[in-house]
Amino acid sequence: MASTSETITEQPTTEVVRPKKQVRTRIEYRRFNVFHRWMHFLVFCSFTVLVFTGMPLKYKDTAWAQWFMDLFGGVTAAGVYHRIAAIVTVFYWTAEMLVMVIMVLKARGKLKSRIPLFFNGKDLQDVIGMFAWFFGRGPKPQFDRYTYWEKFDYLSLVAGTVIIGMTGFMMWFPLEFTKVLPGYWLNVALVIHSNEALLAMGVIFIFVHFFSAHLKPESFPLDKVIFTGSLPVDHYKAERPLEYARRVREGTLDEVLIERRITWKTYAADVVWWTITLIAGVSALMMTAFIIWSVFD
Amino acid sequence: MTRLRLMPLLLVALCAAAFGFAGTAAATPATATNALNAPTNDECFKCHGSADVKGETIDVKGVQKTIYVDRAIYEQSRHGKLACTSCHLGFTSGPHDAEQTQNWLATAKIGACRECHADVFEMYRGSFHGNLVFGESSGEAPVCADCHEAHNIMPPESQEFRAQIDTLCANCHADALETYLDSYHGKAFYLGEIQTAVCTDCHGGHRILAPSDPNSSVNEANLIQTCGECHPGANDNFVQFMVHVNPKSPSSSFLVWTFYMAYVLLIAVVFTFGFVHSGLYIYRGFKDGLYKRNHH
Repeated sequence: MASTSETITEQPTTEVVRPKKQVRTRIEYRRFNVFHRWMHFLVFCSFTVLVFTGMPLKYKDTAWAQWFMDLFGGVTAAGVYHRIAAIVTVFYWTAEMLVMVIMVLKARGKLKSRIPLFFNGKDLQDVIGMFAWFFGRGPKPQFDRYTYWEKFDYLSLVAGTVIIGMTGFMMWFPLEFTKVLPGYWLNVALVIHSNEALLAMGVIFIFVHFFSAHLKPESFPLDKVIFTGSLPVDHYKAERPLEYARRVREGTLDEVLIERRITWKTYAADVVWWTITLIAGVSALMMTAFIIWSVFD
Repeated sequence: MTRLRLMPLLLVALCAAAFGFAGTAAATPATATNALNAPTNDECFKCHGSADVKGETIDVKGVQKTIYVDRAIYEQSRHGKLACTSCHLGFTSGPHDAEQTQNWLATAKIGACRECHADVFEMYRGSFHGNLVFGESSGEAPVCADCHEAHNIMPPESQEFRAQIDTLCANCHADALETYLDSYHGKAFYLGEIQTAVCTDCHGGHRILAPSDPNSSVNEANLIQTCGECHPGANDNFVQFMVHVNPKSPSSSFLVWTFYMAYVLLIAVVFTFGFVHSGLYIYRGFKDGLYKRNHH
């Protein structure tokens, strides 16, 4: 950033035309740090593998189930990939929980304002407010750092991972598990594991995440902030006015403002984000369509 | 499995040689077990291997079965080198009368297998299925060929045979197949992993007994042993896993059904809310022209 301003000020004095040195920069709001982005990347990869290696078992009667299993090289191979992705899940979940515990300990008594991912009273008002807005009976509610559907997305993933992880490990290590509890809990584990998976898939692929990051007007067609980490300040100000106002009030706005260099790499990265999104989006829609098809078939 | 008793065959061959006719009888394995005066395979297939007889059927327990046999399939089967008459005992050349056919269907069909597979036959006769056939109840039960097929016998240890065990049993036990296929083993088996446990691995093949029978491999007292074949270290808790359970039926297992219904309800509520919320949001977005003002 320093070099950028130097380049700009140098130009008139040296009188030499150096067009390529002109670097465009933009003040952006850093919404997600490196930790957030890496967490998302790990969730994204492991979740996709888990869904595509697991769902064919749940919907074994369908033609696509056999197709996917053949693609992975059989049920046993798919099981290995499923377990590798499960280990990645345990890793990111533990890391996330450690960071959350540290956050809670640091925040001490000021939980509500410091831990923006927990539900609070305003979320209920927001739900009512949003439905009023849907029907044209009021203004759109203003949001702080996270909306209620984003909190739901996050907390359901955190809680769902515990449920699906425990039942998954029960079935992975049935001998060890039945040293403690009777075997019919393994039948229960299968029912919980497969339906929790359907629930999580629905929440992530369609109802909350796909909608939140792509379909809603503020994000359409792609909200790539989880990849880039930052977005133009005016966009953010419009999307999350309460957080912006809070930061101005608390004097913490400077902590999250960055000067982002816009180079060819920015556009190259955009191509990567778009490619990932398109592949993921098509896969998600395909899997959703397959499941809807098999349910109504 | 196939243990040809060589001694009687040798005697037959010696006798044939001694009498000076059927000089070629012992020359090829295909005719080695031919009884005296019995037609050769060539003779049998002259009629039964001809496409002309494909439409001709005989009544087997109320089912019309073709008298046509595909020679190529038969000859590549496990029994392909045996004479037709080594199983079809008592048949002579030329058009067979009805009595000959019915006699064979009634008794010899099972007796024929016994000639070579006496040990397996004894196991079968003592089994639940064998009891239905030979015992007083004389109910409907599969005989050898119902599982092993007559003319396309596959080696029982072959992958092809193993891969179809579930559908064989399901000819009679359709309900059991459904719950099996919904289980952990069944899903894997269905999708091509045939090294996982299938019907016969737990219930046995020839010596299948009712679960209430103390000698049954799936009797409560023997489950640790049976499950332990694949899961060494299985204990009392482990064998309480239910292989045949239908989560959608409260009478199958109330516990499993409760969890199943709870999830159905939860999924219905979450998905409905998600659909309505997303739908209305998008509707309002269009209505207020929010999609046009997008800068992303």
